[in-house]
Amino acid sequence: MRDDLRPALFGSVLRDRILARLALSENGLHLRELARQIDASPTAVHRAVIALERTGVVVSREIGRARVAVLNRRWYGAVELRSLLERLVDAYPEVRERAATRRERPRRIGKPL
Amino acid sequence: MARLARGAALTDVAFAVCTALDRAGETAVLCGGSAAAYYVPERYQSLDVDFVLHVGRARVVVDRALESIGYDRAAEDFYRHPELPYTIEFPIGPLAIGRERVTAWRTDRRDDALLHVLAPTDVVRDRFLHYWAWGDRSALAVALAVARERSPDVDLGAFRTWTERELAADRSYDAARIARFFRSLADAPAP
Repeated sequence: MRDDLRPALFGSVLRDRILARLALSENGLHLRELARQIDASPTAVHRAVIALERTGVVVSREIGRARVAVLNRRWYGAVELRSLLERLVDAYPEVRERAATRRERPRRIGKPL
Repeated sequence: MARLARGAALTDVAFAVCTALDRAGETAVLCGGSAAAYYVPERYQSLDVDFVLHVGRARVVVDRALESIGYDRAAEDFYRHPELPYTIEFPIGPLAIGRERVTAWRTDRRDDALLHVLAPTDVVRDRFLHYWAWGDRSALAVALAVARERSPDVDLGAFRTWTERELAADRSYDAARIARFFRSLADAPAP
């Protein structure tokens, strides 16, 4: 689907993609991995996450040298937002498909793939 | 209004900001960690001074009010003072704790200055929610400190009822953390 045919509910297709992808992740994502997951540049994702943090719907924290972004469950509309995003992700099937192939469960160090 | 000078404490800054904004027609409520620091300064310090504007108007009104006390807006939307370590920020509202809007707060007065600040019960809710949502034990410690040291002003019944409402709305919250809060409160009474 062409980007100009996407809903861009949150101001841009990039922001929609970021939020939709974060809605599919319980533990959040490193910004670089988030960019890879949604086929966007790390710089653009970094800027968009800063803007989303300003609104309060996303929060991030440093883990080691990486920054992890996650939907802000403390935000006053967090439950409703998550429901909306779970519908919105239908407009971004490639985001859902890529998320479905990313392992989030633990894996022992050194265990072969 | 007098400019803040070197050595001003967080409370001085909070009163100055709130008063300057009040005179400019804005109602700003001290919240977050800085509100906790206001109530239990011996237990918790903060260099971030967060206010939520009740009805925010043009940024220029806030800029001018804060310039009058020596704070200038930095590029990243924080306000900084050349001689003070405290940064001021205005998180986007509405003023809320979890799913609930906060529509009443406490107003303290000092000489001709005033400070709107989250009530102690709301500070306990706010700090506890950081623990509840993220497992942040430092936030739990601050919530407990406020609950103990401001106990006459903290309504634990209202706190418990609020946790039940939040839990009903979001079942992914861990009810065991509420029990931990009350157990910790009972285990270590205020000295």
